[in-house]
Amino acid sequence: MDDYKFLFKVVLVGNAGVGKTCLVRRFTQGLFPPGQGATIGVDFMIKTVEVGNEKVKLQIWDTAGQERFRSITQSYYRSAHALILVYDISCQPTFDCLPDWLREIEEYASSKVLRVLVGNKIDREDREIPMHVGEEFAERHNMYFLETSAKESDNVERLFMQIAEDLMKQARMTNIPRYDPNSQNINDSTSNDSSCCSRLN
Amino acid sequence: MTTDINYSDIEAKCLQELQKLKLEEENLVSELNSMVNQKTFIEDKIKGLSGLIPKLKVMKNEAEDLVFTVNDISQSSEKISGKIRKLDTARGHVDECLLRVNDLIDLEICSQGVQQAILDLDYEKGAAHVHRFLSMDQSLLKKTANDMNNVSNMLKSVRTLQEAAAQLRAIVEHKFSEAVNNEDLGSIERFFKIFPLLGMHEEGIKEFCTYLRIKLALTADKNLKSAINTPLADKRYSIIYADTLILLFEGLARIVDTHQPLLETYYGPGRLLSAVTILQKECDNQVKRILMEWTKTRQIQRKIQQITELSRMSSSASFSKIEKIDPKDMDILIGEITLMHFRCELYIKFLQRKIMADIEVGISDREQKEKTLKQLDQLVLNSTLSQCKHDLLSHYLQLEQYFMEESVAKAINMDILEASQHTSSMVDDTFFIIRKCIRRSISTGSLDGICVIINNACRVLENDYCTVLKARLKQGYPSGYLDLSQAYNVLQNSIQQGRLQSGDTEQSRTAFIVALNNADNSTEYVTALCDSIMKEIEAACPNLNANERGKLESCLSGLSSVSASLTEIIEYGFQQLKSTAIKPRINPWMDNFLNFSHQLTEDELSAYEAGESFAQTLIMNLETLLSSFKEILSSNNYDHFIQVLTVEVTQRFEKVIMKSQFNRLGGLILDKEVRSLAGYITSGTYWSVRDQFARLTQIATILNFDQVSEINDYWGNVDGSITWRLTPTEIKSILYLRVDFKSDDIKRLRL
Ligand SMILES: Nc1nc2c(ncn2[C@@H]2O[C@H](COP(=O)(O)OP(=O)(O)O)[C@@H](O)[C@H]2O)c(=O)[nH]1
Ligand SMILES: [Mg+2]
Repeated sequence: MDDYKFLFKVVLVGNAGVGKTCLVRRFTQGLFPPGQGATIGVDFMIKTVEVGNEKVKLQIWDTAGQERFRSITQSYYRSAHALILVYDISCQPTFDCLPDWLREIEEYASSKVLRVLVGNKIDREDREIPMHVGEEFAERHNMYFLETSAKESDNVERLFMQIAEDLMKQARMTNIPRYDPNSQNINDSTSNDSSCCSRLN
Repeated sequence: MTTDINYSDIEAKCLQELQKLKLEEENLVSELNSMVNQKTFIEDKIKGLSGLIPKLKVMKNEAEDLVFTVNDISQSSEKISGKIRKLDTARGHVDECLLRVNDLIDLEICSQGVQQAILDLDYEKGAAHVHRFLSMDQSLLKKTANDMNNVSNMLKSVRTLQEAAAQLRAIVEHKFSEAVNNEDLGSIERFFKIFPLLGMHEEGIKEFCTYLRIKLALTADKNLKSAINTPLADKRYSIIYADTLILLFEGLARIVDTHQPLLETYYGPGRLLSAVTILQKECDNQVKRILMEWTKTRQIQRKIQQITELSRMSSSASFSKIEKIDPKDMDILIGEITLMHFRCELYIKFLQRKIMADIEVGISDREQKEKTLKQLDQLVLNSTLSQCKHDLLSHYLQLEQYFMEESVAKAINMDILEASQHTSSMVDDTFFIIRKCIRRSISTGSLDGICVIINNACRVLENDYCTVLKARLKQGYPSGYLDLSQAYNVLQNSIQQGRLQSGDTEQSRTAFIVALNNADNSTEYVTALCDSIMKEIEAACPNLNANERGKLESCLSGLSSVSASLTEIIEYGFQQLKSTAIKPRINPWMDNFLNFSHQLTEDELSAYEAGESFAQTLIMNLETLLSSFKEILSSNNYDHFIQVLTVEVTQRFEKVIMKSQFNRLGGLILDKEVRSLAGYITSGTYWSVRDQFARLTQIATILNFDQVSEINDYWGNVDGSITWRLTPTEIKSILYLRVDFKSDDIKRLRL
């Protein structure tokens, strides 16, 4: 049986081809997939990690970037605990689309969602977006920022672990048990399953 | 001198000598005798041996002969094996020669026959000759040509055949297209079979499938035209484009099914992908045309645009000004889309299954097989059909989302409370809609589609539905005494109009209670929904892999957070009810305890028991209160109500006890009264409330002691010890309530 204490949903968004699928594969399977096709709809992967001796289950939703799949991918924003917005540092248009993605996040995601901006493919020589530009954008929009390479496995582990740690911290803070000795447990079954995660949003 | 020295000595010596000699003689004679005796034996032997001599001579000759023969044999056997080796090579040469001769003969025959066959228009025969020629080892033919004196003859035959092959190829291609033009089915099939004989497999497949394409296009064209011209009144008007799409797919499937055996027989297995790749182009064309007409006729773009605008506006103020599309009008269209999507999915699955089976049989090389399977993936992935399918799903999801949101909003707006119902119509209606939408998503055949609709359902339930319930409870339950069951009956009508006038206490109360019942009933609906859709999905998609199952379960877990929201709402409702309906009623009833004296004489005790006791009055009041709520609350809520009430009663009871003073008889009465109260409340519910009475019962027990030391029968490591809900300090302060207990005794107690 699964014996994790925390379960978090992490959703990756961003233009097609920026390397979302590669980031997820690198993190969950430790490989850089050669020539896989574009993602259709959403893909779903699970990885359990340990944060300070606690098992944390990450449910990672890898979405398709194309417009055609938007009505599928949008429906996953609401229950996300963390959203990773990815662009390609060697491709200006993927950076230019970020405001559109933010609008979508604003519209569909929970206001409390943890938002992370990721500039991927830093192994490439033909960088178009300087690091400080990404950093400034993230700061302006109240997001975490990280540059990664799924190919060279740079910062990938760190990205997801950082998210797991942050979400756990958040969950612990929101879940301070409000014990009221006067109101006895009236419905025991529900008091158990109001776990940290369903409470987050 | 010495001559006469001693004759006797000499004589003696001579005698001695003589004796010696005599002995010697005897020995010699006996030896001689024995020798003479042996002589005959030896002579016999010598005679025997001399008899052997001629035989030995023969043997020697024979042995010499033998050596000679063996040498001879070894030499000749060496010669033989060499010969055999030579023979083998010779036979190889002979075989090759035979082949070459055969080839030459056939070459001759073919070259002669092919011309005649062409002249006779017997293309099968001609092609068979060419096929024979093509099956010859062309390099061997060249070698033959080099070895032969009569080169020109042979080269001539080869040239003839090469020319004939080219000629036949041209003829067959020409004749095939002629047959196509004449729609001469017999000839089409005839020449289709000749292509592979001429080594033109790919060309044959291409020509033939192109022909099938044209036929397919004609039929599809006709079908589309008739779809476009279908009158509005037609029974199938509303799904006519789904029908057209189905006709197309069925036609394609029939083509694949009927021609695959033909292809396999004449072209060999493993070539279905080539054929389907060509057919797919026409399929893509037609699907695109059908969907374009469909989009136009059903005004899909306009509708999608309208609902996107609506959803954008809904967050702004001017929302109500826009004309909405009635979700009911969309119902049929959504049905048509699901059908279309399902059929696309089905056809793609059909193709994949057929082609994969053909590759399995026809291609044995592992690498080649993998390459071909990848080509199949690419064919499907890059097809217009797949893209159209994705577009259909996207349209479906947007329309379904609108349908769900709007229908649920409508169900909430038209909420009606039927007489003698605990819940109002919005509960049944909402869950009917949600179930309908999820069922419809299952009929698309797309797991992604199902997941999205489940996600949307969770959002609508949590955001729209739960919010309304919560808002109704937020209005609160107006306090002030009124016979609730009466109010309930009178006011059922007013809520039916959905117009609740503020300030109308009874209406507000009913609205509150109904919302509370709705929330309770909804939790049951959510659980049932979760179970039933899981079963339905398993029946519709029996081959889900672990990953797909995980995806689905993750989406379904959204429903449990709906349950959690509902439970929170119910909890919130009871907090409201507690502060306005329970506390204000109960407190005065409990405080009435202070109006009684708890230090009684025996006479006063009998008088108290004869009259109306505190507990009797309290139970009567509680009975009135409970019965009014029992009628209107759902059974879960009623139990919940009793729980809340019990907590209030026992806590308040504790408070008034602590404000009173007791003597022995007062304690006795209290103990009795607590028991009867606990008995009364326990009888009204299947929940165990006994636990909630534990503290109160223990307080009464203490106040009912004969003396202070009696506590030692219950406290600590003794037989009668109980699980105390009271702290030692609390126990002591309770003991102080007994006026007849000495405070020194209490102080001295070690607990
Ligand atoms: N150089 C480089 N290429 C990458 C990296 N990550 C992804 N790619 C390539 O970018 C392309 C698109 O990647 P994919 O993960 O499918 O993008 P997605 O559409 O966002 O899921 C693929 O060809 C990958 O090989 C990276 O870190 N470095
Ligand atoms: Mg991808």
